[in-house]
Amino acid sequence: MPSRVTLSRVAIHATLIAFAAFFLVPLVVVALNSLRSTEDIAHGGVIGLPHELMWSNFSGTWSGYCIAQHCDGIQPYFWNSMRMVIPATIISTLLGALNGYSLSLWRFRGDTIVFGIMTLGVFLPEQMRLVPWVIVLRDLNLFNTISGLVLIHIVQGLSFTTLFCRNYYVSVPQDLLKAARIDGAGYFRIFWRIVLPLSPPILIVTVIWQFTGIWNEYLYGVTFSSGEHQPITAALIALSARLSDAPQYGEQSAAVLLAAAPTLLVYLFGGRYFLRGLTAGAVK
Amino acid sequence: MQRHHVGRRALLAGAAVTFAVRRLRAQPASKPRVTVISQWSSGSSGAAMMALGKVFEQQGGVWEHNPVPGFTTEMMNKLRAQIIAGDPPAASQLKGPEIAAWSKIAPVVDLDAMVQQAGYETVVPAELAKLSKPHGHWIALPIQAYRINTLFISKKAADQVGVTKLPATWAEFNAIAGKMKAAGITPIANGGIRWDDGMKWEIALCGISLDAYRKMLTELDEKTLKGAEVLAAFRQCRKLADWSDPGIASQDYTTFVPRFMKGEMGMLLMGDWAAGIYKRGGFKVSDYIVGPAPADDGKIAFDLNSDEFMFWQKPQPEFQEGQKLLAKIVMGKEFGPLFCQITGSIPVRTDTDLSAEGFNDQQREASHSMGEAARANRVVLSLAHNMAQTNQITAAMIDVLTEFVHDNRITPEEGQKRLVAAVDNVR
Amino acid sequence: MPHLVIWPPILVSCAYVLLFSAWTIWVSFTRSTLMPDYSWAGWRNYSSMLATRNWHIAYTNLFIYGTCFVVFTMALGLLLAVLIDQRIRAENIYRAIFLYPLAVSFVVTGTVWGWLLNPSIGIQKLMHDIGWTSFRFEWLIDQDMAIYTVVIAGVWQASGFAMALLLAGLRSVDADLLKAAQIDGAGPARTYLRVVFPTIGPIFIAVLVMLLQFAIKTYDLVVALTAGGPGLASTLPTVVVYDFMFQRSELARGSAAAVMLLGSLAFVLVPYGLYRMWQQRKARAHA
Repeated sequence: MPSRVTLSRVAIHATLIAFAAFFLVPLVVVALNSLRSTEDIAHGGVIGLPHELMWSNFSGTWSGYCIAQHCDGIQPYFWNSMRMVIPATIISTLLGALNGYSLSLWRFRGDTIVFGIMTLGVFLPEQMRLVPWVIVLRDLNLFNTISGLVLIHIVQGLSFTTLFCRNYYVSVPQDLLKAARIDGAGYFRIFWRIVLPLSPPILIVTVIWQFTGIWNEYLYGVTFSSGEHQPITAALIALSARLSDAPQYGEQSAAVLLAAAPTLLVYLFGGRYFLRGLTAGAVK
Repeated sequence: MQRHHVGRRALLAGAAVTFAVRRLRAQPASKPRVTVISQWSSGSSGAAMMALGKVFEQQGGVWEHNPVPGFTTEMMNKLRAQIIAGDPPAASQLKGPEIAAWSKIAPVVDLDAMVQQAGYETVVPAELAKLSKPHGHWIALPIQAYRINTLFISKKAADQVGVTKLPATWAEFNAIAGKMKAAGITPIANGGIRWDDGMKWEIALCGISLDAYRKMLTELDEKTLKGAEVLAAFRQCRKLADWSDPGIASQDYTTFVPRFMKGEMGMLLMGDWAAGIYKRGGFKVSDYIVGPAPADDGKIAFDLNSDEFMFWQKPQPEFQEGQKLLAKIVMGKEFGPLFCQITGSIPVRTDTDLSAEGFNDQQREASHSMGEAARANRVVLSLAHNMAQTNQITAAMIDVLTEFVHDNRITPEEGQKRLVAAVDNVR
Repeated sequence: MPHLVIWPPILVSCAYVLLFSAWTIWVSFTRSTLMPDYSWAGWRNYSSMLATRNWHIAYTNLFIYGTCFVVFTMALGLLLAVLIDQRIRAENIYRAIFLYPLAVSFVVTGTVWGWLLNPSIGIQKLMHDIGWTSFRFEWLIDQDMAIYTVVIAGVWQASGFAMALLLAGLRSVDADLLKAAQIDGAGPARTYLRVVFPTIGPIFIAVLVMLLQFAIKTYDLVVALTAGGPGLASTLPTVVVYDFMFQRSELARGSAAAVMLLGSLAFVLVPYGLYRMWQQRKARAHA
């Protein structure tokens, strides 16, 4: 029973395929280049088929490339990023949920203004926050540590996570809350019993968003860490900054794929839940 | 009964380990230590730092090099952050007038005594010494030098138009370029990023009139800024821009190396580090002709770029010892061969023996040129590589130059006017 | 008891936004160069910034890029959402294809699109190699068109997000409304325009806000794609802020640029804030 509007099927598929091509071109190019040798790419242009499959690009980048005095490839930086991103994502999501819950279901005077201020945080460009963070981390004695970076990402992520969660929780039916409050439930009881079980869709959205954002972040990762504790974004830049070498297209492409693998996998497997979470009323 | 036995043994073992660990931990605290921040995380510069680190450790020190991936700005960011946080590195890579500027924000180490003991000042070109002692005391030590005004010609391209030696003046250069253009070769193989654009202009001015260059860039002399030599430099720069590949914007010159070697592109005006890039790209010295860029008055001219280590005051004795050790190594005669054979740069000491195999002819020629130019007072500091002025003034000038190079609607006269205005704005 | 849990994260969040903004505003009125220096400099930094070409070009570019980016991303996202809403069998595949750019960092996007759009090594070269020698796509090196290459890369990266939100919105439209429209004999276009889109109005606004903050904060993308070039042609305010603050060691002037950038945001955010307050008052009146 057609209850949805329909358009001509051919036109639909043709358009979708055309745009899919547009979206896929960069990925395909990088994937092909990761299997070509740098000389080949330098001579033959960035778009082309590999003459022979240079799997060594991957193994070399992962475990052999020399950055500073460590010739362990990008592998250690990969795990550094994991160590930083996972705690930051989990904590900022939880705190964002609490914040969103507080702001949406426990109204207090000025809560709209408070929410407005937090949303403003989403717009602040990161360049202007660099020096203040240095001062803050220095005073907290967390400079140059992974914990310091985690703290930065938590606080900055709070703006987004609160935004998402709060917009989601406003749609929790008021009757549920009223009934719970009549039963004598307090702040935590309601959160635990009612709000949290309703949260998985938005939590997944938030986790995916945060994981991707923090994993791909460059400026703070480089400034607030050093040496072998740097995140993967720093290693990527080390590979591409052309100070004393010609561009290493082949290795660079392999490194890009390796570095993007976690976030790509997250979207590949979590994309469905991402969409479901948004559909469940994440945005109002 | 058995449990007792194991318990005691475990206790003994534990105590032994704790003892040993404490002993081990005690040792590094007394070894000279140094923490270094630089931008050299990979490639030949990274390899050279690794070699330096090995020597440092061989002489009994603990080496900790924290390169910041990216370019100089990221490295300065990190340095600034460390200084604000109260934890400056023992040594950091800095250059040019930035040494003077940065030395005002945190205490630095006075190296006068060590320099005098090593007799270092006499073997270092005067320009470098001046930069290293901005307030009269040595606070930084030069690591390596590069010549900016170097010209590379692709052998294949040269053969195609019948060129066998380097042009001596800009007029000859322009003639060769014209021939190449007619033969279908792109005459200029430079890239199109900011410092490259600045470099094209400065090499032009350097060759047109070294005195005008010096007056303008070191003193920001207004009359020279508005003068004929600067205008001529803009005109030459416009020619260079027109002869470049139209797709150079935001491209680094290294992307054109293959085409240069194949003979599709003819001439490169670049610092002599390009020779290192060629070598790492697998090309031979016979693939190109190299030498000083054109100089209209026929005299020797050396446009200098260099890197230095600046030493920040640290209260801990192991860092102070480490700094002394590093200073000793850097000032030593063996440092030049150690570092510069890997990076392709010129050793700072004018008395370095370059006959070793690790050096190539281009390095020998450039080093000889530096010594001679120093004696004849024909050494100037590079604009585009932040040697002549602070980043603030340099960036304002390069804004004008990079716009000029990429927009041929701007006439040389207009370019000069804008340059004058830019300098006035930041003076 | 709950106060111990409610207040700290909220306070930290607000403090962070307010204090950091206040610090930047304060520094923009000082003489800070290499390091923060709290001596007063009046409006000097602002007048100096307003006089530089970098700022003029950057600000103009922000309007061009911002408008094009938001409009095209929204349009493409909407188109893709409507198409996928047509009960496509391969929806999972399409969804993955359109969403994956979000997983890629801006630096990588800029770098790869920089390769593709470069006439000497990218698409144009490919076309020439296979024989289509009259093909030209030189926007990347064109003074006037370079900023539009940033639009292309930005639209590629963000359309999937717009699509996801809009698709979610489309799917949440009441089925009865659609049935009613069908019974009335409305065709697909009419139904979408008259029934669906107005219902998901708030979602458009939400997408707009997210895209706007993408556009304002664009930095890594343009640096990796064009380095702000050719010359200064594609520079953006965030690039100017970073350049002046850290490259030229002029913290105060860079802060002034940042404040001006945020100030112009107020023109968009204040109406939006008022709209939200009006919306909430309406909702409360109904409840």
